[in-house]
Amino acid sequence: MVSVLLIDDDTELSKLLEEYLQSEQFELDAAHDGPGGLDKALTNQYSVVVLDVMLPGMSGLDVLKQLRQKSAVPVLMLTARGSELDRILGLELGADDYLAKPFNPRELVARLRAILRRATTGGPSAASQPVHLAGVDLHPDSRSVTCNGKPVNLTGAEFDLLFTFLRNPGKIISREDLTQAALGRPMSAMDRSIDVHVSNLRRKLGPYDGEQERVKAIRGSGYVYLLPGEQ
Amino acid sequence: MRYRSLFWKIFFCFWLAAAAMIGALNIMLWFSFTNDPNPERRRGALGEALNLYAESAVQVYDSEGSQSFEQYLNRSLKEAGTEIALFEGDGTPLIAQSSPEVASVAAEIKQTRQHVSQVSALGRLTWGRLVVAPSGRTYIFVSRLRQPYVPRGLPNLGIALSIVAAGIISYLLALYLTSPVKKLKSVVQSFAEGKLDVRVTPQLGNRRDELADLGREFDHMAERIDALISSQKRLLADISHELRSPLARLTVALELARKNVSDKGIAALDRIELETERVNTLVGQLLALTRLESGAERVPPETVALEEIVQLVTDDANYEAKPHHKEVKLLQLSPCRVRGSSELLRSGIENVIRNAIRYTAERTAVEVALTLRLDTATLTVRDHGPGVPDAELAHIFQPFYRVGEARERSSGGVGLGLSIADRTVKLHGGTVRAENVTGGLLITMELPVSPQPVVTHPAAEKVSVS
Repeated sequence: MVSVLLIDDDTELSKLLEEYLQSEQFELDAAHDGPGGLDKALTNQYSVVVLDVMLPGMSGLDVLKQLRQKSAVPVLMLTARGSELDRILGLELGADDYLAKPFNPRELVARLRAILRRATTGGPSAASQPVHLAGVDLHPDSRSVTCNGKPVNLTGAEFDLLFTFLRNPGKIISREDLTQAALGRPMSAMDRSIDVHVSNLRRKLGPYDGEQERVKAIRGSGYVYLLPGEQ
Repeated sequence: MRYRSLFWKIFFCFWLAAAAMIGALNIMLWFSFTNDPNPERRRGALGEALNLYAESAVQVYDSEGSQSFEQYLNRSLKEAGTEIALFEGDGTPLIAQSSPEVASVAAEIKQTRQHVSQVSALGRLTWGRLVVAPSGRTYIFVSRLRQPYVPRGLPNLGIALSIVAAGIISYLLALYLTSPVKKLKSVVQSFAEGKLDVRVTPQLGNRRDELADLGREFDHMAERIDALISSQKRLLADISHELRSPLARLTVALELARKNVSDKGIAALDRIELETERVNTLVGQLLALTRLESGAERVPPETVALEEIVQLVTDDANYEAKPHHKEVKLLQLSPCRVRGSSELLRSGIENVIRNAIRYTAERTAVEVALTLRLDTATLTVRDHGPGVPDAELAHIFQPFYRVGEARERSSGGVGLGLSIADRTVKLHGGTVRAENVTGGLLITMELPVSPQPVVTHPAAEKVSVS
């Protein structure tokens, strides 16, 4: 059984989900407010946290912000349908993926499995050799990254994204392929989470000397990881 | 400048009235003092006084001599401004100088032997008569009275100046009267455009008249409408929001039921899932609409490639339309850069195209075209359906408006799609209109084009795109 923490103020929904997830080999524990959920999440006894953005008292985004300061536990966010801003903010704050509420529980299970698969197998970077490229050092064993000697703190999705880029420098990689590699799931229609992850990665690594960005967007195609001096 | 505006009406009316009054007054004065038909009439009591005057003057000369008369004459001239002349009965002057009027009156008296009076054009009276002194000598006495005060008309320059002054006063008056009306108008206008928090009173200052009262009454009304509308919107948003929790639970319960149901029950569960999804869509659309209308959605400063969105939506829609033997055709696709939210624009465009698919007849195509003209991106969506009665065209962008009750219900629409499209395009500074074309409905969306180069998404803002 995989232990899942659900932070959602809807107690009835929590009970139903607990029953449903049990049949899918997940063990669900629930917290119904922000501070309580944060305390539970910080105990590090859960494989994945499902976090509702709309929580009474302390917003889900605040919970996520504080959680990320101390823990790298995978987080799946539940956002209101069509609430674009919450989704982008959540992914920027370090959520691994999101799901619009009300959701189909089958989809929830699929997303949870994708997140867990990546977390346990270590994603595409598992059991690979360290990569060194243009000042960036990536160590798959310790899942650590340094840029120009300084350690960079990346989320799981960002780490796998960077790994995919470093393995294919100078090549255009489609957003679909990047989504599959970083999030472990196929891209859905108008899914912009990969763009948010790329943006976060770019911000954390910073540009090369002379303001040249490391990752460049190719409209209609995808992204390319550039080496210094490349345009 | 609008010459039919209240301002100009008041200004010209007041000015014309003032000018007419100035003119009429001048004409009246002119007539009454130059063409008096009977000046004698005004001099009844004066005649008596003049007779006494004549007799006393003659007595002074006759009994006290010319020296005393000279003094009398000078005093009279100095104190009353009256010129006196005395002649012998045969017309020989007894004093040295006399004005021509006096001489002519004296000559006339000499001839007619009767009292004579002459009035100059400006009303100065010269009067004379024969006077017989107690000594028995006959004299001709003539007196010329001081120039009386005559209220003359103003000279031409004066008239012009007073009309100009009247014009300035009329202008200020018109300005004073109409400026609150103008402010009221601009406030009413922005209120009609949906800015429900605008008020008139702060703009009117310390004014305390009927117009200020009108402004205050408008503010009361605005306050009430604002409260009603926002409570209605809040209610709608709250209801939609509260529906989501039971819906979320329903979806999970449904999946739980699926696990324990026989094959016979599956069809019913599928139906429940379909209906749940419909309610879900409706709630989502309602929330999207209330967000758009409440102004909570802001257009982010992103540049969006509109043709990519149109391409994507058209592809999806075509895929969905195929099972219904319908098609979505892309006739033209020009690259257009628009500022705004790609997510909102996508949902707006999608709603219009879905609506067109719903109404287009089987085995026909919905035709989509995106063209760029000057600084406007024009997206047209044309279906081959029944169209909309002309009288109802203006209403189809209202939420829940149904053109044909039965028809729409069977097609599964809830009447929110076009409202969402309308609000979305307006939020992006564009317009949407609908018109009937031969055998179908044409919806035209126009969006202002962004002058800036495209950015694929906010993440790529710093990246130059080749």
